[in-house]
Amino acid sequence: MSDLLGHCRTILVVDDEQTNRLLLRNLLERDGYNVIEVENGEQAIDAVNTLHIDLVLLDILMPVMDGYTAAAIIKQQVKHFIPIIFLTAKTDEASLAKCIEAGGDDFLLKPFNYQLLTSKLRSMLRIVSLYQNIEEKNKSIHQHNLQMMQEMNVTKKIFEKVSKNDMRGPHTGLKYSMSPKSMFNGDVIMAEKNQTSGLDVLIGDFTGHGLSAAIGAIPVADVFHTMTRKCFLFTDVLAEANDKLIDLLPTQMFMASVMLSVDRSNNILSVVNAGLPDVYLYRDNEIIRTFKSRNIPLGISKMSSSQFEVEMQPLQYGDCLYVSTDGVMEAKNRQGEMFGLDRLLTMFSENIPAEELFESILSRCAEFSDGAEQTDDITLLELCHQSHVSYPQSVEFSNEVREASNWSLQFNLDIKSLRQFDALPYIMQAVNNLQPLESGRTRLHTILTEMFANALDHGLLKLDSSMKNSPQGYMAFYQEKQRRLEQTDDGSINISLEHTLQDDGLGGRLTLTVMDSGEGYDYRALDLGNDNAYSGRGLKLVSSLCSEMKILGKGNVITALYDWQADQT
Amino acid sequence: MSVTFQVADDNKSATIKLNDRFDFSLHSDFRNAYKDVTLLNGEYLVDLSGTDYLDSSALGMLLLLKEHADAQLSSVRLVGFNDEVREILNIASFDKLFQMG
Repeated sequence: MSDLLGHCRTILVVDDEQTNRLLLRNLLERDGYNVIEVENGEQAIDAVNTLHIDLVLLDILMPVMDGYTAAAIIKQQVKHFIPIIFLTAKTDEASLAKCIEAGGDDFLLKPFNYQLLTSKLRSMLRIVSLYQNIEEKNKSIHQHNLQMMQEMNVTKKIFEKVSKNDMRGPHTGLKYSMSPKSMFNGDVIMAEKNQTSGLDVLIGDFTGHGLSAAIGAIPVADVFHTMTRKCFLFTDVLAEANDKLIDLLPTQMFMASVMLSVDRSNNILSVVNAGLPDVYLYRDNEIIRTFKSRNIPLGISKMSSSQFEVEMQPLQYGDCLYVSTDGVMEAKNRQGEMFGLDRLLTMFSENIPAEELFESILSRCAEFSDGAEQTDDITLLELCHQSHVSYPQSVEFSNEVREASNWSLQFNLDIKSLRQFDALPYIMQAVNNLQPLESGRTRLHTILTEMFANALDHGLLKLDSSMKNSPQGYMAFYQEKQRRLEQTDDGSINISLEHTLQDDGLGGRLTLTVMDSGEGYDYRALDLGNDNAYSGRGLKLVSSLCSEMKILGKGNVITALYDWQADQT
Repeated sequence: MSVTFQVADDNKSATIKLNDRFDFSLHSDFRNAYKDVTLLNGEYLVDLSGTDYLDSSALGMLLLLKEHADAQLSSVRLVGFNDEVREILNIASFDKLFQMG
């Protein structure tokens, strides 16, 4: 008799009487079993521990150790299933019951009935086969599990490399909580400093679970970090991430997401909600604005950067934003009841100070679920607008030292280019490649941004910047800018940059000139000391950041000189 | 069976009706319902009147159906949803991708 894999089955016969052992050996060997004989309980225990035994036939009354004791020990010591069939002459119910209690699986009455013996053996060995089968499967599942964990760890490491900046901390205003397995539930958070020294934050929740969800996160993180560092606008970043996901993900997969962008120069928040639950803005202990999802999640249909619905909101210091994935609302307690939107909204109305709210929501949620297993992941994020921020030193651009050189660049953008293309990131990239100014990079970018904005907004589009003095006006200003940009038929902006080395070779001077085709204005009347002066704010900033600034021509040309020294880096 | 499927006599529309929860467990039933169906310039109706919950994988399945329909120059219309289901569809801005109601 052999098992499913063709192995010969081995039966251990335990009896102190030689005649009984001999009889059983004869019967069993005739049926093709392997037989091993021992004389008492103690030897039986040795045998099952050292040899491969498939089944035990066990006498009860034996010297040294009886069958009951031996059965109990064998069942305790052996981890896999070895059936034990007691051989007994006693037919009283109490004795038979004791056989089963001691760990026996069946019993056989002496004298042996050959028919009964072989059919009991067969049935028991069938069960053994089943057990072994399950054990094999368990082993292979365990193997698969290990392999999957390893793969996940590798993916996690790759992912950590892609999103290397953890921007959380008291100095950045950013807090978030994700449980350790959340990454494999498809939740991602990434943050990067934007060109105004505010933060751009992307929160994503992929459909599906496991590796497939994590894989989608990698290209998104790559796009987000790379483009934001290169000063692209968050809508450009979203459009690019959307394109990537459409290319990469299967149809049924997508990423519900929220992009937050804090413009610290103007204290304006922009929110793009594409498929996540409501985003709340909390001020003076209450919700003052809710940002609902107005966009299709990323990875579904093609979008240009101007097609995203962006909501803007002026910020005050102390304002805090709350974003959650549906895991918070869907956190279940032991009764299967969900935490729900109402419980969350209640928390916002309890006058909890903003400093405590984040922790309160998490602990209330944990209290509620009270150890019940979570089906989705609880990801919660808080972004507070504080008067002072400082960010951890990020490994943004390579520290590769380039030799300073003389160079110049010129860009001429006509109205069509201005409409469909944000040239600044490309110009900044070119400058960075020619002349990496580690510490001056942000400064230079601000100078260029303000000069460009001045030329476009005021020189070309003739927008009145006093509109921006009120929060509502700020949004109106942007809408009007968009409208005029579409309707203006001609016009151009010319940007030129020229870098010349200092004689000692330890520094240089960058001359930036921005010229627009507008009719100019009477710049002599402009008082840069007055914050509310016409187009004053931007140019005032420029003049404070560079060595010298001049307004030329009829007011349509601005030149700024930016000097740098080698010891700046 | 929690997914039922019916093609109209004129071969211009087909109705997929779902019951209870519309989630990942219906993945193959849902796909099998329409995968061999061809409607040219027709309309797939997804009847959600029996559905009280749908999760993100259900949204994914609807996108797959849309892809199937798009290839046949057909459209997908979602009907019969209750307020909770409408809220989920709204959050995902599916009203911009599907005919609703």
